[in-house]
Amino acid sequence: MLIHKILIANRGEIAVRIMKSTRKMNIPAVAVKTATEPDAMYLSFADEVFDNTDDTSEIPVFLDIEKLISIAHSTGANALHPGYGFLAENAYFAQKCIENGIIFIGPSPDAIYKMGNKTIARKLAMQNKIPMAIGSAGNIADEEEALVFAERIGYPVIIKAASGGGGRGMRIVRDANEMVKMFPLAGREAEKAFKDPSVFIEKYIENPKHIEFQILGDSHGNIIHLYERECSIQRKHQKLLEEAPSSVLDDTLRNKMGEMAVRIAKAVNYHSAGTVEFLLDSEKNFYFMEMNTRIQVEHPVTEIITGIDLIEQQIRIANGEALQHRQEDIEIRGWAIECRINAEDVQSGFSPSPGRIEKMSMPDYPYVRVDTGVREGSAISANFDSMIAKLIISGKDRKQAITRCKMALDKVWIKGAKTTLPFFRLLVRNQDFQEGNYTTAFVEKDLDKYYFNSEYEEMLAAWLATKLFIEENLQADSINVDFSEGKEMSPWLLNKRMNQF
Amino acid sequence: MDLSGKSYKAFLERREALKKQYSPEQAEKQHRKGKLTAHERISLFFDPGTFEEIDTFVTPADHPVEFGKVERTYGDGVIVGYGKVNGRLVFAYAQDFTVMGGSLGVVHARKISKIQEMALKMGSPIVGMMDSGGARIQEGVASLSSYASIFHNIIQSSGIIPQISVIMGPAAGGAVYSPALTDFVFMVNHTSYMFVTGPNVVKEVLNEDVTFDDLGGAGIHARKSGVAHMIYDDEENTILALKKFLSYLPSNNVENPPLVPDDGSAQDVCEKLRDIVPDDPNKAYDVKDIIQLVADRNSFFETAELFAPNLVTGFARLKGRTVGIVANQPKVLAGVLDIDSSVKGARFIRFCDAFNIPIITFEDVPGFLPGADQEHNGIIRHGAKMLFAYSEATVPKITVILRKAYGGAFIVMNSKNLGGDFSFAWPTAEIAVMGPDGAVAILYRKKLAETKNPAELKKELTKKYRDKVANPFIADELGYIDEVIDPAVTRKKVLSALNALGNKWVKVPERKHGNIPL
Amino acid sequence: MNARLQINKLFALSSENRKFSFRVPLTNKIRIGKREYTVRLKTDEKYGSYILWKNRRYPVEIVRSRQNKYEILFNDISYVFTVETPFSLKRMKMINTGRGKSRHESVKAPMPGKLIDVLVREGSPILRGEALVILEAMKMQNEILSPVNGTVLKIHARPNTNVMKDDVLVEIKTE
Repeated sequence: MLIHKILIANRGEIAVRIMKSTRKMNIPAVAVKTATEPDAMYLSFADEVFDNTDDTSEIPVFLDIEKLISIAHSTGANALHPGYGFLAENAYFAQKCIENGIIFIGPSPDAIYKMGNKTIARKLAMQNKIPMAIGSAGNIADEEEALVFAERIGYPVIIKAASGGGGRGMRIVRDANEMVKMFPLAGREAEKAFKDPSVFIEKYIENPKHIEFQILGDSHGNIIHLYERECSIQRKHQKLLEEAPSSVLDDTLRNKMGEMAVRIAKAVNYHSAGTVEFLLDSEKNFYFMEMNTRIQVEHPVTEIITGIDLIEQQIRIANGEALQHRQEDIEIRGWAIECRINAEDVQSGFSPSPGRIEKMSMPDYPYVRVDTGVREGSAISANFDSMIAKLIISGKDRKQAITRCKMALDKVWIKGAKTTLPFFRLLVRNQDFQEGNYTTAFVEKDLDKYYFNSEYEEMLAAWLATKLFIEENLQADSINVDFSEGKEMSPWLLNKRMNQF
Repeated sequence: MDLSGKSYKAFLERREALKKQYSPEQAEKQHRKGKLTAHERISLFFDPGTFEEIDTFVTPADHPVEFGKVERTYGDGVIVGYGKVNGRLVFAYAQDFTVMGGSLGVVHARKISKIQEMALKMGSPIVGMMDSGGARIQEGVASLSSYASIFHNIIQSSGIIPQISVIMGPAAGGAVYSPALTDFVFMVNHTSYMFVTGPNVVKEVLNEDVTFDDLGGAGIHARKSGVAHMIYDDEENTILALKKFLSYLPSNNVENPPLVPDDGSAQDVCEKLRDIVPDDPNKAYDVKDIIQLVADRNSFFETAELFAPNLVTGFARLKGRTVGIVANQPKVLAGVLDIDSSVKGARFIRFCDAFNIPIITFEDVPGFLPGADQEHNGIIRHGAKMLFAYSEATVPKITVILRKAYGGAFIVMNSKNLGGDFSFAWPTAEIAVMGPDGAVAILYRKKLAETKNPAELKKELTKKYRDKVANPFIADELGYIDEVIDPAVTRKKVLSALNALGNKWVKVPERKHGNIPL
Repeated sequence: MNARLQINKLFALSSENRKFSFRVPLTNKIRIGKREYTVRLKTDEKYGSYILWKNRRYPVEIVRSRQNKYEILFNDISYVFTVETPFSLKRMKMINTGRGKSRHESVKAPMPGKLIDVLVREGSPILRGEALVILEAMKMQNEILSPVNGTVLKIHARPNTNVMKDDVLVEIKTE
């Protein structure tokens, strides 16, 4: 093998996940120990740990290009896996790795750059006749242009940051008045978040479904897709639950969308794992949204239904190997659902709820896969994302997967932080969800805000409150006060105290 | 004695008459106002079967002039006596609104004075439950002078026995000074009021419309005036809380506070403490989260919670022993010291000092609140109260510096040279004359004005300042603090410091009294 | 005369005004329909504290208690109750009927400072605890949170302006 040691330029769940594959493939993996979480779980999965706890730089190491390259050199790693987030979609970083003789486990810098810039990506899609929401051909320079363009395509429209992604830097505008207010805001926001103020405008698709296709391409020009994931269960553009396949696609549509996904990937000579995101409207028209040039958080559902280890494929591709599968070999087998269990307070608008995991146990069923980077004693800090674990359930069909999901969710036991568990427990019992009847607006619009799932739970909580009240206030020995203690003190002190008065 | 004899019969008749006086109808009238009767309050407060009433059968004084009517009733509108609360002797009086509106006549006042004097002689806490229309007009000047004796008694007992007032109905005019003089004031939401002049007079004199609640309700006194320390939604909760509150206090200024056995569930080494203070010095957090983890589980009893919430005060226990907690609250106004919080802190510290309660200070203070409003209203003399109180206190004094400890506020918050016994600092502490931004702006004013990129230079200098000056290590090396500690071991460190200070004694110079800048 | 106040019943009132009544002394038997079930509060090394009910464990945590108010995390959901005696419940009803329920909530600046950002829009639904605006004061960025569930009625705050203490920032129509 060309790759003989891999530096994991990431932390948490994805670092653990990557190392599971490197271990299977017998490639040594190096993890980086940071001062922020020196006891993190992912370190115990590594074959070698680079101690970076002395680093006083203000930039976290996983964002520090120079540092990562020097770590790779000093540990003798000749390949680097960026995971997701951090530098995973940074073309400059990928380029730097290559220049320094490190194999970047991901697509080419060129592909990252082109897909990362939404304006270029749109142009490419247009040239390749990929269906897209009507939108501006390039960036919109100012308010006036925005008003004229929006008038032409009709409201509502959405302003997007050219360098944005992952749901950040988007603003929906419903009329001209709002446009005047929102346009400068969107630019400033984009500048702040992505250091690039350019924005473009698209027709806003109301209540779409979010469907994405997993792509695998090798450096020999072969590109296949591994079918879709349905990610419509999201809140403020943050995905909460994903499943594969989608219950709304029939085979014709599925193959059509898959073809389009492969076509856009081919346009940038894509090699590695990637994801092409589409919106699907109520008439089942689909529109290209963007391509993510990294491994996705929700990749496990695809792994379950196709039986293919995506991380392993990424490494093999980076190693120069040709794809082992042809499109016609890929079959959908069964159904998979992933719940992202995050440390968030669902009763307070999903606000982060950091804490330290005191107790944690996960269901141990053959149909449950748990991807996690934390264990008892781990801190969920505000410094990183709030993920605790991904609960991935498989079944022979959607119905069975949901039933099993219900059971598995009831078995998850996490103490020390508020989690998104109540949300999922409610969701899997919701009829519209069970019938596949939902869009990206579902969570914010239709999901009941009361999260308990049986009428007895609140009563039991009330019983506990009453019990505490009685123990603290009404029992004769509720305050067990020992007054004799106060009267007995050392003669030294008592004498002095008495003599003063 | 012949139980069928004449004397015994008279005895029974009197008891019968008393029963009639406290009829269910009277009680119902009080209940309809959302209030309990004086007897119900007393029975809820004392341990079952321990209350002994005295002066039950006294009758009102004759008044010299005919003006209005005085009901010939037993007790003269107040119940006084003693009993056990959580097993300890406590004296109490409860005004009875169902008898002449609980108005204070001479006999009524004499009963209160009597119980006050007994409490002082016995060195036991005293609780007053107020529910009174004020001075009894019919009794004129005699009634007024009776107030004076009650006030005088409170002042005589101040600092010797804990005195607590519970306002459970109106308290108007001179009557308000009785609670104001005591150590802590409890009030009941919606049914208790305190004001020197009532809404009617305000309307007459100033032509200003104001409701009872807005003028002197529990909410106003708890939030704005600071007169009320604890408020509750109903009388049962008020009394239950009062009982709990008393369990923190010693009976008098010679004894130590009582011990409440710790259930052992608080961890001496608690890693959670490392996660609370954010890395970003500009981010807020709740200092009560820290207090809860350092103190015995569920033992923190906050006082004056709603008044000047930028400073947290209250009692807690450490391995069962009472301590007083004073903590800057970064969550409110960044934990800044202002007039209200200085006054609140100073009074709390003096109470702890009087009653042998060690003081633990959690410090994260960016300084004193700047501004004309504060300066003109005397932040100088009010801030001095806090300084005075800390320095004067001879009880064990321990400080934990959590984060910011800047300038004058660092000195005030129990610094070592002010007489603090132990000073610990977390590694996140920033001890300096002022914050990085201020210091950089002053020391490098010229350089900043000249440079092309002031923002960049400022950032660089700020970082340098933090590394070189605003950290706990310099103070540690110079001995101005005792130790930089891992947040996780805070409870352990404070506990051993408290143990070491168990027999602390400081000779106070002889004098009549100090002159705190009031 | 010595009317001993007997508390033989307690009510746990939820923040949504649902009422649960319990007899005092409290037993660990709860009757539902014709059957009686046992509820147990336990703590062990593996699970921490939990409630055992119908052969299932539910994680519990006492988040905070203040006076007679308890916030309890039960099965990862937080519930807030006030525990009332029969008399205090009656009193509460009496006082509540005396005043109209306020449907508006004005969120005021807790201190003078500079508004950095407004995070909500007029008309958008808002949950208790969601951040409304970011206010910088004493060099600290403070998130001002919504005290209630409701809808944003009016926004008075504008980014990059200075506000005084008690200036109304956002008005919320409560549910």
